[in-house]
Amino acid sequence: MSGATLQNAIRAEMAASLDRHAERTAVVGGGEVFTYAELGRRIREAAELLRSALPAGGHLGFCLANRAELVILYFGALEAGCLPLLLDASFNTCEIAAIRGDCALDALVVEKAKAEALDIPGKGEPLPFAEGVVVLPLARDTEPPFTPRPDTEVCRFTSGTTGRPKCLEFSGHAVVSAARNWVLGTSMSADDRTLCLAALSNGLAFNTSLLSTFLAGGALHFLKGQPLTRPVARRVEEDGITRLVAFPTLYRNFIAPGGPDRSALASLRYAISAGAPLWADVRDEFRTRYGLDISDYYGIAETGPCTFERHAGYHSGLGEPLPGAEIRIVPGEEDAPGAGEVLVRTASMASGYLNHPGLFEQRVDAEGFYHSGDRGRLTDGRLHLVGRTTDHINVAGRKIDPTEIVDLVSALAGVEDAVAFPDEDLNREALVHLAVVAPGGAVTRADLAEACRARLAPWKVPGRISFVPEIPRNGIGKPRIAWLREQLHEQGSLQQKGPQE
Amino acid sequence: MNDEARTAMKKRVQRLVYMAAGGKIQETELGRWDTDLRTIGLDSLGYLNLLEGLERTFGVAIDLDQEEDHSFLHTIDNIVRYIDQKGAAA
Repeated sequence: MSGATLQNAIRAEMAASLDRHAERTAVVGGGEVFTYAELGRRIREAAELLRSALPAGGHLGFCLANRAELVILYFGALEAGCLPLLLDASFNTCEIAAIRGDCALDALVVEKAKAEALDIPGKGEPLPFAEGVVVLPLARDTEPPFTPRPDTEVCRFTSGTTGRPKCLEFSGHAVVSAARNWVLGTSMSADDRTLCLAALSNGLAFNTSLLSTFLAGGALHFLKGQPLTRPVARRVEEDGITRLVAFPTLYRNFIAPGGPDRSALASLRYAISAGAPLWADVRDEFRTRYGLDISDYYGIAETGPCTFERHAGYHSGLGEPLPGAEIRIVPGEEDAPGAGEVLVRTASMASGYLNHPGLFEQRVDAEGFYHSGDRGRLTDGRLHLVGRTTDHINVAGRKIDPTEIVDLVSALAGVEDAVAFPDEDLNREALVHLAVVAPGGAVTRADLAEACRARLAPWKVPGRISFVPEIPRNGIGKPRIAWLREQLHEQGSLQQKGPQE
Repeated sequence: MNDEARTAMKKRVQRLVYMAAGGKIQETELGRWDTDLRTIGLDSLGYLNLLEGLERTFGVAIDLDQEEDHSFLHTIDNIVRYIDQKGAAA
């Protein structure tokens, strides 16, 4: 367990904001409006519940989509001296079970229906918290394999490999620094109303929306239902939203024929995009239609926010380093002039991986710069990404290790060889393409998809599966991905038209 | 809605599903209108695109929070039945 007496940096900042802005609106969502005073009262009630349900300094996992109760219980956990661990709400049973073991979860905040369906050891009787939300106690059956650092106040996760998400530890100082620097770097104020459509477990939302909103005295809004353009536009218009935190697909849907009128987004000061590269034509068309630049944001799970574009008139790149962030470009042998690996040092760095000791430290140099795995260049002070230094596949901001998929598939009877690589669908969305050698038709596409869905998180399941007679490899046995992708695209070109109406 | 109109609507929905999935679902897999779309690879992003397409094509506002049972989105048959019940614009 973590040292409860040291868990106070985030709690102290939040307590000060709750007092300072008592009469202002803090959270809007699910038909409810909480002032800072009301939010503070609900946080204290949640803390009481958690003190009674968890051991002192207990580890509380959150596997919940955005809603007001997530905010209340998160700060309630900090108030109670617990360690909150924010899981991706789409983590499956295997991943939750792995986290329970690695991170010694004492309880899980989860939707009631998911709690009932979860088949993991140590499940206790769910404690109702709000409509459809429960705190699910989890009994420990072994000693915790890893101990969080004394100053760890929050943990978040990266997708990890082999069904074991990597648990990132953050000190209170790092979390508060990220929030303060976001407020400073983006001129966030008490007049800001942020509609956050990205999951709060994600670094984008966590750093741009959660503590930062409350430090500024602003209001955090959640959307009930799916992030479709019409309900989003309605919320923006009716609530006078000033900041929209979203992802490229939503912005692409906005500019599609029949999208909302320009007047619907008139209150927006910032439209923030992250998670995946924003298409240049979408950025241009959005500016034309709505008169607003989409601000690309670059952040890394391990370092927090890195860059942001604050100045109108810059229409490419990912912006300038935020306060507290430094970027170095270290050229490699194959990089074009000016390009290289992106190294980042911030005031909001993680302390390490709880369940992979030493791994984070391997990626940080002697001066504290983190090797991001991205390749890029700085032009006019703006960061431009040009590729990756690793084989990891980026799907909507989640890094996927292709070996996890290949290992799983290769273990199936009838599969002789396989390779997974990044590709795009017809909507230009990133996906995992799996090419398989399985002679004789012993394995079908449905078999492979089913095996992947059963063992992998949804975003790791290959979006495209191709059967090939062999995997082309170079002299040292490395798959020739570019050549294979090109061949498969040529073969599949006749299928791209799809069914007609 | 008569059979001819229903068939035409199914083909429009079939096309929307294909577009929503970004081509990840093969044409042959969409041949049966009672196939569970989740089992052939329509993921959460695909469903998001499909909901956008259904709203814009048929003028139906679909709020999943207002619908306890989401099985109306599981097959093309079910989607067409749902849209018909909502009295959507053809």
